[in-house]
Amino acid sequence: MASVSTIRIAWRNLGRNPKRTAFALTAIGIGQFAFLFTAALLNGYADQFLDAVTGPLVGHIQIHAPEWREERSVELTVRDLEGVLEAVRSVDGVANAAPRVYAPALVARGSEGFMGVLVGVSESAETYRAGLFPGGAPTPLGDHRSVVGRSYATRYGVSTGDTLALVGQDVDGAIASGLFSIDEIVASKVDVVNNQGVVVSLDDAQEFLYLGDEAHEIVVHVANSGMLESVLSRLRDLPELEGYEVMPWWEISPIMASFVELMDHYLGIFLFIVIIAAAAGIANTMLMSTFERRHQFGMLLALGATPGRLVRMIMVEAVVLGQLGVALGTAVGLAFVGLTARSGIDYASLAGSAEQYEIAFQGMQLSSIVFPSITVGDVLTGALAVFGVSLLAVIWPSLHIAHLEPMEVLRS
Amino acid sequence: MERRRVGWLTLMALCAPAMLAPATVFCEDPAASPAGPPPDASELLESFDDLYRSTGTIAEFEITIEKPNKTRTMEAKSWSQGEEKALIVIESPQRDAGTATLKVGNNLWNYLPKISRTIRVPPAMMMSSWMGSDLTNDDLVKESSYEDDYDAEDAVWSDDPPGWLVALRPKPDVPGLWGRLEVVFEPERLLPVVARYYDRKDRLARTMILDEVESVGGRVIPTRMTVIDEQEEGERTVLLYNDVEWNVDLDDSRFSLASLERRR
Repeated sequence: MASVSTIRIAWRNLGRNPKRTAFALTAIGIGQFAFLFTAALLNGYADQFLDAVTGPLVGHIQIHAPEWREERSVELTVRDLEGVLEAVRSVDGVANAAPRVYAPALVARGSEGFMGVLVGVSESAETYRAGLFPGGAPTPLGDHRSVVGRSYATRYGVSTGDTLALVGQDVDGAIASGLFSIDEIVASKVDVVNNQGVVVSLDDAQEFLYLGDEAHEIVVHVANSGMLESVLSRLRDLPELEGYEVMPWWEISPIMASFVELMDHYLGIFLFIVIIAAAAGIANTMLMSTFERRHQFGMLLALGATPGRLVRMIMVEAVVLGQLGVALGTAVGLAFVGLTARSGIDYASLAGSAEQYEIAFQGMQLSSIVFPSITVGDVLTGALAVFGVSLLAVIWPSLHIAHLEPMEVLRS
Repeated sequence: MERRRVGWLTLMALCAPAMLAPATVFCEDPAASPAGPPPDASELLESFDDLYRSTGTIAEFEITIEKPNKTRTMEAKSWSQGEEKALIVIESPQRDAGTATLKVGNNLWNYLPKISRTIRVPPAMMMSSWMGSDLTNDDLVKESSYEDDYDAEDAVWSDDPPGWLVALRPKPDVPGLWGRLEVVFEPERLLPVVARYYDRKDRLARTMILDEVESVGGRVIPTRMTVIDEQEEGERTVLLYNDVEWNVDLDDSRFSLASLERRR
C-alpha cells in the first residue's frame, strides 16, 4: 500500500508549507480535543446516572404488586415476603434483594405536622454495596428507631434525639399512628430518603401499617450488569413471583434510559463537528498543495509515474496530516482527563459557589461533581472519522491529477 | 393519603367572575320549568351551608367507608358551634376509639390516642381524606362556605334529578377548592339532593347524594349523605345521622386542645 518512501515523501511535502500544515493540524487537533473533551464529560454524566439509577433507588430489577407503582396504595403488596425473598436470592446471578415498605405519613415533632414518607427497610439487605446503607446502617434500626434524611431534617428543623409522631393510613384504611426516635441523620443518594424519608426497620413499618409478611417493593441487584437479562427471565419464571411485576431498571426509569441514549446522540453531533474541522483543514491543504504542484506532477507523469501512484501519494499525505492532528488533539485531551479524572470537575465551584450541591432528578441525588473519563473507543472513533475524511478530502485533487495532461502542464 | 385528591392548591378561578354576568344572557329561560320561577341561588346556598349548623349542634352519626375489597364502619359523635368550631370524636370500633378531630377557625388538629399526641393538620392537607374516607378534612369541618367562597349562577331547572340546579365556581382568592360544582335542590322543601364536584381538569371527581330526609331534633334534614368517588371503582362513603340536637348551649372550653387531650 504505502511504502516507507511514500510516507517520507508525504512527510516532506507537508513540510514544504509549514504554516499551512500547522494551520490544518491545529484545526484537526482542536476538533479531536473538543470531541474527546465532550466524550469525557458525557461519559462522566452517564456513569453518574447509571450508578445512581442502578444503585440504591432503582437497582437492576424491581418486583412489585401490579398497579402499586401508579396507585401507591398500602394494600398493594408482595405477599409471603420470606418465601419470595428466598426464591429470589436462590436465582443464579442475584447478588442482593432488598424488600421495602413505603407509606406517606403526617409527621410531627411537636404539634406542627408536615408531610413525610415512612420507609421500612431490611437492614441486612441494605448494607450491600449498592444498597441504602452501603457498608453498614448508621444505627441499628428496630424498636421504633429511625434514620432521617438530611435535607428533610434541615427543612423541618428536626435533629438526632427528637421523637417524631407519625400518622398515616394502615392497610385497612384505619388511622395508623406511632412514635419514632430519630437516631441518626443521613445524606442519601436516594431522594425519597434525603428529602422526605423517615427510615425504620421493615418490622416496625409492617407493624405501623398492620401489614403481615409483606412489602411494597423488592430491589434486586445482579452480580454484574451483563447478567441482567438472564436473571430477569429467570426471575419471571419463578412460581413465587407469579402475578407480580418484575421489571428492569430501564422500564422503571425510561427517562433515565433515554437520557443515557441521548448522550450518545449528543456526542454524535460533536463527532460531526470534528469531521467538519478535519474536512476543512485537510481539504484546504490538499487542494492547495495539489494545485501548486501541477508542474511537479506533470513531470513525474512524463517520466513514467502512474496517476495511481501520485494519487496514493497525496492520499498518504492527507492521512498523515489527519492522524497527526488527531494525535495532537488526543494528547491534549488525555492531559485534560488525566488532570481531572481523580478529583472530578465541580460545577458548583465553576459557577462560583462555595459548596458542592446536589440536584434531585428522577428520584436520585446527582452531585455537582462529574468525573470525566475516556475510553480507547472514543479516541479511535475520532481517529477513524478523520481517516475517513482524509480519504474523502483527496477525491477532488485525485480526480484533478488523474486528468492531468503532462504536456499541457509542462508547457504552461 | 395520596389518592387522587384534586382542587386543593391555590388556583385562579377558571372564569373570572366578570365573565359570569354576560354568560347569564345565554341561559335558557328558567321560567320554562314546571315548578314556577327559580328560587334565589344565594338563598339556596346559604341554606345548604346552614343545613347541619346551629349555635350548638351535637350529632351522633355512623360513617361507612366502602372500598372494593373491604368495608369499615365507624361511629362518631360531633359537637359544633356555628361555622367556627367543631369537635369530632370516634367512638367505635375499638381500634379507632378516642381518635378526635378539632377545628377552631382555620385550624385543624387530630388527636391520636395511641400515642397521646395532638398534631395540627397542615393547610396543604385540608383536601386530603379524613380517616381514609371519601370525605376530605375540609368537608368535615366545613371550612369553605358555598355562599361565601363560590360565585353562583342563577338557578335553572334540571331534570335529572328533577330540581333547581345551581352551578358554582370558586372565587379567585379562595384556596384549595374544586374547579366547579353543580348542586341540585329539590323543588318542595328546597333541600339539596345532589352535589357534583368537578376537579380543575373539569372531570367529575365525586358525587354527593343527600337523601332519607327526616325530622331530627325538630329540623328536617337529609339524614344520609353518600359521597361517591367517581374516579375509583367501588369507593364510596356513607354518613348516616342517627341523632342530632340543635342550638345546644356548648361550653367554649370543649373546643380546645386541652380538652382534646383529656378525652379518654
